[in-house]
Amino acid sequence: MLKSNIAWMKKNVPSDLKVWKGMIQDIDWQQVAAKTKLSLQRDKDRITAEFKEFAAMDTSAKIDWLMNGDRHLGYLYKKDAIAFARREWKGLKSVGYDFVGWLKIWGGMLNMVMKDPISILLAVFEYHWFASYLATPAVVDRSVFGRRGKLLQADFDMWVAITHWAEDLIANLIMADAKIGGNQKINKRIIMFDEMTMAQMMAGFPNLIGIPYQMIPVFMVSEMDQLTLIPYIDAIESYGLPSDTCPLPTAECGCAVKDEYPMCGQGFIASSMPCDGSVMATSFQDRRFSKFMPSYPLCMPVRYDDEDTTEMAAADMKDCIHWVESLTGETWNWDTYFATMEKMNECTRLEMEKWEINKTHYPQLVGSSFELFRKWNYEMDGGLFPEGLKTQRKICKTMMETYEKKLPAYVGGYEKYRALIWSCPAHFYANFSNWLANCWGIYALTEMEALNMTKMLNTTDKDEAINDLCRLYERMVMRRHTNGGHDHVLGELWRQCENFNANVVIMYQHVCCKTMAGLQGLFDDQARELGIHLIWVEHDLMDPRTVSRKDMRGRVNNYMVNVMHAEPVDPTLIDIDDEVTW
Amino acid sequence: MKDLKHLIYFENLLDSANNELVQQAKDEGMHPIAYTCYHMPEVVLNVDNCFSVRLRAPKTGSFDIASYYMSNYTCEYCRALVERAIEGGYNFLDAIAGVDACAEMNRCMENIELVAAPDMPNKKMFVTHCDIPYKVKDYTLKHYVTQIRNRFLNVLAETYGVDTSDEALRKAVAEHNEVCKIITEIGDMRKLPNPPITGYEFHVLNLVTYCCPKSKILPYLKETLAEIKKRKVDAKPWYRCRVALIGSEIDDLDMTRMVEDAGAMIVADRFCFGSTPGREVIELNDTDDVLTQICAHYLKTTQCPRYMSQEKIQERRDTIDRLATENGAEGIIYESMKFCDFWAFERTLASHIMNEEYGWPVLSIDRPYMARSSGQLRTRLQAFVESLEIKQIHKAAKEGK
Repeated sequence: MLKSNIAWMKKNVPSDLKVWKGMIQDIDWQQVAAKTKLSLQRDKDRITAEFKEFAAMDTSAKIDWLMNGDRHLGYLYKKDAIAFARREWKGLKSVGYDFVGWLKIWGGMLNMVMKDPISILLAVFEYHWFASYLATPAVVDRSVFGRRGKLLQADFDMWVAITHWAEDLIANLIMADAKIGGNQKINKRIIMFDEMTMAQMMAGFPNLIGIPYQMIPVFMVSEMDQLTLIPYIDAIESYGLPSDTCPLPTAECGCAVKDEYPMCGQGFIASSMPCDGSVMATSFQDRRFSKFMPSYPLCMPVRYDDEDTTEMAAADMKDCIHWVESLTGETWNWDTYFATMEKMNECTRLEMEKWEINKTHYPQLVGSSFELFRKWNYEMDGGLFPEGLKTQRKICKTMMETYEKKLPAYVGGYEKYRALIWSCPAHFYANFSNWLANCWGIYALTEMEALNMTKMLNTTDKDEAINDLCRLYERMVMRRHTNGGHDHVLGELWRQCENFNANVVIMYQHVCCKTMAGLQGLFDDQARELGIHLIWVEHDLMDPRTVSRKDMRGRVNNYMVNVMHAEPVDPTLIDIDDEVTW
Repeated sequence: MKDLKHLIYFENLLDSANNELVQQAKDEGMHPIAYTCYHMPEVVLNVDNCFSVRLRAPKTGSFDIASYYMSNYTCEYCRALVERAIEGGYNFLDAIAGVDACAEMNRCMENIELVAAPDMPNKKMFVTHCDIPYKVKDYTLKHYVTQIRNRFLNVLAETYGVDTSDEALRKAVAEHNEVCKIITEIGDMRKLPNPPITGYEFHVLNLVTYCCPKSKILPYLKETLAEIKKRKVDAKPWYRCRVALIGSEIDDLDMTRMVEDAGAMIVADRFCFGSTPGREVIELNDTDDVLTQICAHYLKTTQCPRYMSQEKIQERRDTIDRLATENGAEGIIYESMKFCDFWAFERTLASHIMNEEYGWPVLSIDRPYMARSSGQLRTRLQAFVESLEIKQIHKAAKEGK
């Protein structure tokens, strides 16, 4: 590894130093001073306002603040600041959970760095996306916004599991990267697969490391910082790609064009999932990856309700397994596969318990952390990551305890509106679900991307197990709804509204998702007939230049004020400035 | 050159989806079956007393209602079809044979099914959605055959009592091949240095074969072929350069007219609704299952960018290179319909590769469904023609030295 590190330094340090020198020379110190002064003035104004508000409180309100923490969360945002103005005060009852959670997140990051400190350090300079992961603690803070007590602890537990998994991935990628770490021992065990493909197949290859290739350089980092991918999007649009394509495959292609993927892996499993954009991004990525590894296109049928299609899906899955076997010399292991799928099945059972609680008037696990955890647990963990099931069990236990006490899920109090999140969501970038609850008392009970396959996977019959694996892949996150016919997303929404007793739908209108856009009018027509409040929130995923977070919130504010004639739970959150906030 | 005898008649046929020949066939008790994609094998729609109509929405103006249903950032072809369906322009249809090959077209079909179909006069009218593979393997062919059989042919037989036997399919293939041979023969004439047919005329001829009943259009085609064979060409070719037109769906005659008005003769047409693929003869043997042979032909010849395996990606590029070379093109125009995801990605990458690795001058454009009003497009085409002419001058000067 050291040899590879030295080679990197010889190649890059002189030019990097020149760049750094130029950057320092270009700094306008007068402007820096003016900005600092303005920032300090804003701090002063905020502190004054907060102090006045505190002084005006009666004794019981002051005790409440001390015990339960901030109720006016808008003060945490500061114009032009990438982090919160200060930490959220969560009250004496919750500060311990907050601190322990914070320590665990930093501990995980430190643990990752210690696996290969030099390579990790060099990666900060090699890859544009890498440094954004330093924002992880800030993003976790954002995602536990307004949460208190045991539920706050549960949120942290979910984030700790997700970040530990991601840290393992990052460390393996960088250590095996021919450009930096050059660790052949790890590289020989790596099979890459498209980030829009589920990980469960790797359960049959216990000696291999399955890595969703674009997950770390593209998808996950965009959750950390919505501005990170803009250079990739710009790069590929400069290359000629129209700007109306989905920013996710667009950014994936841009990352390939800018040579920002770590160079490692024995083979790449491309996939036809979940949509046309994703299919086509393969041609760009394959072009780059084929320089150092072969690829296999895993293609699942679209009309998956038709059981006639399962035969082809199973044949392709088997073919793909043989391809991995021939590439790596490994043999598919049914024992480990079945054991892992048993865990996956338990995760599914636990997930369904959460949904049952959220169908009541005392929903507990709601918000960004819950949504991201579900997605990760279904798609990437799938029983493979040891902490996944452990965390599922723990948070479900916590949820039952808090439910029995009938605790409100947020500091602002019980739900005022029951909502579902539908279509391609942008809540992670914008911390939208937590904002909805904290600002307007709109509880997002669940979301489209969480409601995936709940069939228990076969763990005894080999042929049926492969069929089930295909059914699972066909119903991966998003694809389960957006593919295979309108009823999967249109009729399904009304059924779920009834299941969850929700009469508000936060309808994310992803301006580049043609699959969802194609049903726009039918959604409107049918919602009107059913008397459901459909609040359209436009967004462009990880490209906030098209629709900013502020504009997204504006759509909800307008609807709540003008149609619902509602009063906000926390008026300080109505108009916040988070254009550059992590 | 003197105008072709039936050109205006053909153009008139293309003014409406429910054209004179379609009406004649319908009056005779035949079933018009609409489709939009190459992956629904055209030939199986012509089985027994059915005939295929590749759906178009000629002379589309605005599509406000369709934009309400599908938003204003989906493929304009899809929106134009939805608009026309809601207007009642497809009320003559007995079925729509859809494939779930591209999400936007699938949504288009669904909107027609849910919004327009309930008001159509034929209450037996049905819309199908077949699943189409993403790569070519023995098991994907089997799947394709099952889909076409179960999701389309069986439904057709149950609904209208249509004969979908092997004999009926062979008969449809024979008629299809007759059309293909004529179109291929006419198309091959574009390879000549001074061709007796223009790219626009060829587009018209080819389009009518997609949009009219085969039995009705065949006599006109035969006559036109004979006419072209004897057609006297001008002493000097009319064009300034020769191009291959590659990309997504083009059923808009104004698009090809605009290219040729700029001075570029279209010598190869590799776009949806073009002749490559689409007008290759289907070879059948006497032993294998007929439907399997038909489906194998379509899987083999498809050039759709949704095929994501390396060999198919490479094949697409090689096919374009071959077509452009064989037909004497000097440049390639890559076009895609605005908001088409498949072709947006394909066009971007392939336009670089065809230029940088294959050495072709390439123009890459996205375009509206109806091109007539696009001044920007016209300017870009003219500039490309000029750049090809400059290359000709440089080449001549170099050879002169």
